This record gives sequence, structure tokens and C-alpha cells, in this order.
Amino acid sequence: MLNLQPYADPQYFLLLMLGLLPVMIGLYHGRRFKTYETLISLLFIILMFTGAKWQQGVALIGYILWQLAIVFGYLHYRKQRNQTGVFVLTVLLSILPLVIVKVTPAVVLHPSLLGFLGISYLTFKAVQVIMELRDGTMKDVELMPFLRFMLFMPVISSGPIDRYRRFQKDYEQVPERTQYLGMLERAIWYLFLGFFYKYMLGYLFGTVLLPRIEFSALAARHMYWLGLSPALIGVAFVYSMYLFFDFAGYSLFAVATSLVMGIDTPMNFNRPFQAHNIKDFWNRWHMTLSFWFRDFIFMRVTFFIMKHKLIKNPIRVSQVAYLINFLIMGFWHGVTWYYIVYGLFHACAIIINDIWLRFKKKHRKQLPHNRWTEALAIATTFCVVCFSFLIFSGFLNTLWFK
Amino acid sequence: MTRRLWQIFGPVILAALLVVGILLAPLPNGHISKTRLQADAVSLSPNVLGGARVKAQALAQHYVPFLGSSELARMDPFHPSTLAAKYHRPYQPLLLGNPGTQSLTHFVDDQSELNQLKGKKVVFIVSMQWFTRQGQIPAAFDMYYSPLQLSTWLLRAKGNVADRYAARRLLQMNAPAKSTLDRQSLYQIAAGRPVRGWARLALQARLRMLNNEDQLFSRFTHSTNWRRIKDGEKQLPAKDEPQQLEQLAGKIAKNKTKHNRLGIDDTFYRQRLGHGKLASLRGSQRHFEYRYGPEYGDFELLLQQFAKNHTTVQFIIPPINAKWAAYTGLPMGNYAQAVAKLKYQLASQGFTHVEDLSRDGGQPYFMQDTIHLGWRGWLAVDQTVDPFLTQPQPAEHYHLNDAFFGTTWANTTNVR
Amino acid sequence: MDKKATVLSILNDLTGEDFTNNLDEDLFASGLIDSMDTVQLLLQLQSQLGMDVPVSEFDRNQWNTPAKIIKKAEDAD
Repeated sequence: MLNLQPYADPQYFLLLMLGLLPVMIGLYHGRRFKTYETLISLLFIILMFTGAKWQQGVALIGYILWQLAIVFGYLHYRKQRNQTGVFVLTVLLSILPLVIVKVTPAVVLHPSLLGFLGISYLTFKAVQVIMELRDGTMKDVELMPFLRFMLFMPVISSGPIDRYRRFQKDYEQVPERTQYLGMLERAIWYLFLGFFYKYMLGYLFGTVLLPRIEFSALAARHMYWLGLSPALIGVAFVYSMYLFFDFAGYSLFAVATSLVMGIDTPMNFNRPFQAHNIKDFWNRWHMTLSFWFRDFIFMRVTFFIMKHKLIKNPIRVSQVAYLINFLIMGFWHGVTWYYIVYGLFHACAIIINDIWLRFKKKHRKQLPHNRWTEALAIATTFCVVCFSFLIFSGFLNTLWFK
Repeated sequence: MTRRLWQIFGPVILAALLVVGILLAPLPNGHISKTRLQADAVSLSPNVLGGARVKAQALAQHYVPFLGSSELARMDPFHPSTLAAKYHRPYQPLLLGNPGTQSLTHFVDDQSELNQLKGKKVVFIVSMQWFTRQGQIPAAFDMYYSPLQLSTWLLRAKGNVADRYAARRLLQMNAPAKSTLDRQSLYQIAAGRPVRGWARLALQARLRMLNNEDQLFSRFTHSTNWRRIKDGEKQLPAKDEPQQLEQLAGKIAKNKTKHNRLGIDDTFYRQRLGHGKLASLRGSQRHFEYRYGPEYGDFELLLQQFAKNHTTVQFIIPPINAKWAAYTGLPMGNYAQAVAKLKYQLASQGFTHVEDLSRDGGQPYFMQDTIHLGWRGWLAVDQTVDPFLTQPQPAEHYHLNDAFFGTTWANTTNVR
Repeated sequence: MDKKATVLSILNDLTGEDFTNNLDEDLFASGLIDSMDTVQLLLQLQSQLGMDVPVSEFDRNQWNTPAKIIKKAEDAD
């Protein structure tokens, strides 16, 4: 049976655009064919999980039922009462499947049966809805809109992570014709930029260069202390380039497809390697994820600590919050030493970055600021980030322990 | 508004038409320069192995296919490519093979040039390490999998015993089963029917497209191997004189194997066996088994292709480094039985050019490392290959036997 | 003290800048305020003006200039 992995080959894009043609024609004439859109989205999602992947499909259905029960159960409860304990329990239940899926491989060394492509991204969306219900910024959720939001086909496998209210507004509002044409124009541009990123640059770095330089690094590992050969530096940079172009390319496809469907899904990357410091980097790299973490973990943790005056010094508060934030992000990537070290590394980097920024603020008069210091800042940030991706890649695991 | 639509989609439609046009148009093949061919012939690149254009143009000239696997990459001064280049032999090897290219990979990847080999000669280095219980490693097959070559075969297959066997084996690999078209075609052939109708048209269109891709992208093969050949040439004496070459090979090899007792190239030893790894490999091959498995049937596929095209083949069975074999506990009796079984399969069907080096693994400086020919081993190969390729050979009379595809043969050591 | 003055004094404490004549400066784009400051801002608004703003209500585009924050504070009643 036909199996279609999102954005994997030319065939997919062709079928996708054919499938979306009626949606396009509808939106061009100011109408959204909701039933057709739902059916075609379902079809593409089903085709992701055919053949050998059927177990993942079953896991997805089970997962959706689970989240439905939790979110609507909480909605029902929240309309009458608002206890912190119930809220915490609800969030824990909501992330439970993801936790099981992430922990299973570390414990029993094989993937969990509950897992499916995209589970993390669906969890982000569900948790976000629960949090907004708690805050009262969302008073109500309806079944169909919630399902549509959770299972929005272009972003189901790997994001970007949209927000319910934003998504819902776009969905209910059919764009005007000139506006829609503008969206289509952007869609085509993103699509082709994505091709260039993922299938040319990503291929160059990931398929052509990376195996060779990894091989060199492995071959030279006995000649250097801890295997820290010059080739390893090459691995760090080549892998970082591959990671960016592959993921940014994918994200562009997802945004482009959303735009074709009249939904302005937020962008995921904004020239991350031009960041002036680590903080700036996280405002440009995998933005929908880092903003999700910022809004739902970092800010909540700081808010909680300060409101309850657990720590007096605001600087300490932020440092603790950064550690918690990035540790969770590390665990989210997977329960392996290198993801967790990656999280800790970024927490330390951003804490050091903050210390530097405060120092800079105090000594603004004495410190030079010009083109060259900016270039130095960008280069330093870039190197630190690439080193963090070397940790993230897991290559050090291969280098040292395999 | 219509204008704006055109502005948005016009370029996309145009680009799509251009791409489809370029891929489906009957493009001319483009002449490959002499130096380019030299480099491609020793590149060992999967692009060359799985492609058609480079092989076709090389074989139209004085190149002779050397089929094999990892040993082809041992490019010391006595490698067949170096000797042929240095002494301006009337032939130059076209190296086809890489680590993991076993019989089934060769069977698929050599399809495009088989017709071109009618009445010509081929050198085939057969490693006994291919003949494991598993046979072709699926991951390696996938790595060298060429849809172009598979399409060529799918269009050619009639559904006879060999075709049916091949289709069944290919369905056990991963790569061909991923494409619906390939899978359905393989089922057809496995059921004894040639591919017909729409599937045939689709295969033809795809073949045309892949040929054009090969045409466009085979220009970007990058390899520095030709430099290694050139470096090797510099070390060789001006005259092609066996005694002198033997001495030089001994001298060079002695210098390269100073720091270990297995007679293995020091760089290889340091990288692959050093730092205590060797000790962990002691006795590790005690249970290695080369006598049984599907590789014998896969190998038969190639034999039948050679026979059908009246290709004369020089087979070479390289040895295993005797010290290495002893250290790792390889059961040499079983190994000898496997070699005898393979030789029976060849001789009983009329393949007479078989150079069996399998007992020479103990000769000094014969092997560059554990299982790969080097220095004097390559010279021994040259002693056979040079006359085979430079002198006319009488036509062989093949009498094929489909029983070699069977499980009975795969599981027997009884060769009488 | 009116609400405008309170907001401006909170912002002054957080950033060390006086925005009295710069009511439309983009606080996030210029890097004067980060997530941490945002939380402090929300807490100060709560303790000094009794405004209850949940974190998820905080949309950066609606809170990015002193003028917008003052407006939010004045609309709070």
C-alpha cells in the first residue's frame, strides 16, 4: 500500500499540491471547504501510517483519545473550580504518554509501542491548551476545532508549534483575495527555498560531507587526547550546517503548506547563525519551540518562584529557571547523556551570557562597540552553538563509547 | 488578478516543465575525456558502479571490468591499475566494487554493461568472505542499490529460473521493496511473467529519466584515487620485469609492516587492530562459515549472465592472511571445502579460467592486511591477468545447471 | 501617583531608562527587556496596581512599548 512520509520525495509534493488544489480554488474565491479540507488532511495523515507503520497509526489514535479525555475533562472541571493540584495532575497526565515514549528506549532499549511520528509536537499543543484554560485566557474549547488544531496536517510530524487561539482565528477568517495571493506568493517562495535548503544544502552537508568527515574523525581518534582531532571540529560545523538546513528546509515546507491552506503558521527560524549572543540565538533558532518553552516553562517557573518569594535575588531566579528550562528541553529530546548535557550546556551558556550582558550594561561607556566587536560576538556565538550541536549530534557517544 | 496568479505560478510551471523535459528528453550522452575516464575507472565511486554512462564509454575503449570488493581499494604500486598504467598495457582496469559488493549487488549493478561484454573479457575477484550464511548484507546492497540498473534488469527479465530466483532474492533486500513499482515488478517476475503493460511503460520512462540523471550527474564524481595510482607509478622500475618487481614488492612491504607480527600494513594495524583491539579478536572467527548460504545461488546469477553473453572471465580467489587466520581461529579445513565447492560450481559449468590463490595466505608480503591482497599478492594476480588479457583466449563452452540456484546446493559440501 | 507614572517608574527600575519622552520605543526589539524582566513587570503591575495578568495573556506584540503597557494598565478597571 502507498505510504507517504511528509515532504520526503517529489511524489509527495506533487500529490500534496494536487490534493490541496480544491482548497486553493476555494480560498481564492473566498470560501473554505471545511469538509474537503478535513477529509484530505485525514487521508494524508493515514498515508503516513500505512504498511509497516500501522502500529504508529494505532498509537496516534489512542493518543488523541487520551488527550481528548484529559482536555475536555479539565475544561469541564475548570468551568466550576480552579485548584492548583488538579491543574498539575492534568498536565502530568497529558505529558505522560510522551514521558513513557522518551523513557522506554533508555530503559528497555527498544522504542515504545505508544510512540508515533510527531508525538512531542502534539503534546506541546495539548499542554498549551490546558495551561490557557487554567489561566482563563481560553474559556472554551470545541471538539472539532481542537481536533483540527491538534491534527493540522502540514505540521503534524515536526512542527512548527502553533498556538490554539492564533490558529483558530486564521481558520475561521478566510483571507481576502489579495491577501491570499500574497500568502500563495510566500508559500511558493518558502517551498523553493526549502528545496534549496533541505535537498541541496542539507544533502551536501548531511549526505556528502558528514559521513566523510565523521570517518576521518573516527580514524584519527586514537592519535589525540579524547579523540579531539581537527576533523572533530569539522564534524561540529558540518553537522550544525546539516541540522539547520535540513530542519529549516522542513519547517519552510510546513509553513508553505499551511499558507496554501490559508493558515499563517509561525516561522521556525530567523537567520540563527547571525545571532549576537546565545539569548539572541534562542530567539532565532527553532523559534516556536523556544517560545513555547519561554512562555510555558521559563516564565511560569520565574513567576512561581518570585510570587512565592522562594528566591529573593532576581538574578538567581532567572538562573534557576534557565537550568530547569533547558534541562527539560534536554530530556524532551531524549533520555541520553548527550541530550541532557546539551541542555545543561545551553543553560550555562545563557547564564554566562546574562552575566556578560549585565557587565556590559554597567560598563557601557568603557566597552568599545563597533562592527568588529559585533563580528566577534557573532563568530563566538556561532562557535559555541556549533559545539553544542556536536554534543547534540551524539557523535561524541560514538567517538568515545562505541 | 489573473496576471498576479501567473506571476506566482508561471515560474513554477515553467520550472516543472523544464525539469520534466530535461529528464525525459533523449539527451545525447556526451563524450567523457580521457583523463576523466582514467580517474573514474579507479574512483570506486558508487556513482560509477550504479551508473551506466561511464561504464559504457570506458568499455567502448580499452578498459576491462575488474569486478570485486574491498581489495580493489588496496592501491599500492602493484595494484592492477598501477601496473597497467605504468607499463602502457593494452588494457586498463575499470574497477567495479566496494566493501560489501557481493554477488547480488554485482548482478544488479552490472546490468547496463553486460550486453557490451559480448565476446569480451572480464576479471572477477571473488572473496570467500561473501559466502556467509546470510550472503549479501542488505545494508550494503541498499547502499549501492541503483534503480537505474534494476530497471534495466526488470525490463530484461523474462521469468525463467534465474530471473525468478533473482526476483525472490531482491525482494529480501530493503531498497527495491520500498518503491511500489519495483516491488510489483519483482512479484511479476518471481511469478514467472515478464513485466508488461503500464508497469513496463512506467519502468521505461523511469529508465530514461535515470539515464538522463546519470548523464548529468556522473560528471560530478570526485575521487583522489588516480593520484594514488600516479604515486605508485613513480615507485615502479622503468622495465616491466617480474623478478625486479618481486624484489621491490618485498622491499616496500617490509618497510610497511615493521611494527606488527601479522605482516599487516602498519597504518591499517594501528587504526583497526591497535590499542588492544587485536587481543579481543583472538579466536573470534572460530565459527566463521563460508560453505553454505544463498551467495552460491547469487553467484550463479552472474555465471549465467556471463555465459549468455559469451563473456570470458578470469576468476581469482584471493587467500586470507595465514597468521591472521591462525590468530582468529578460522577453521581452515572448512575454508578449503568452501573454495573447493566454488571451484566445482565453476568447473562443472565450463568456466576454466580460475586462479586459486587460497593457499598462498602464508607467503610473505602477499596480503596487505587481514583479508586483502597487496604487494606480492597483486603481482601473483598480474602473472595470471596480464597474459589472460593480452593473449587471445579460446572460446569457452558453457553448460549451465540451474540446480546451483537450489537450496540443496546452498546447503551441501558434497561436490562429487 | 497616577497609573502612567507608576508604569514608567516600574520600567525605570527594570531597565534603568526613563521613557517619559520615549513612549513608543520597542522594548523587546531594543533588548531592554527580556523574559525575566517581563515576569518582574507583571509581578510589579500586580503588586502596585492590582492588575492580574496571567502569563499566557502576555502577547509580546501587545506589550512591546511603554505606551501600550500604560494603555493596558489604564484599561484594566
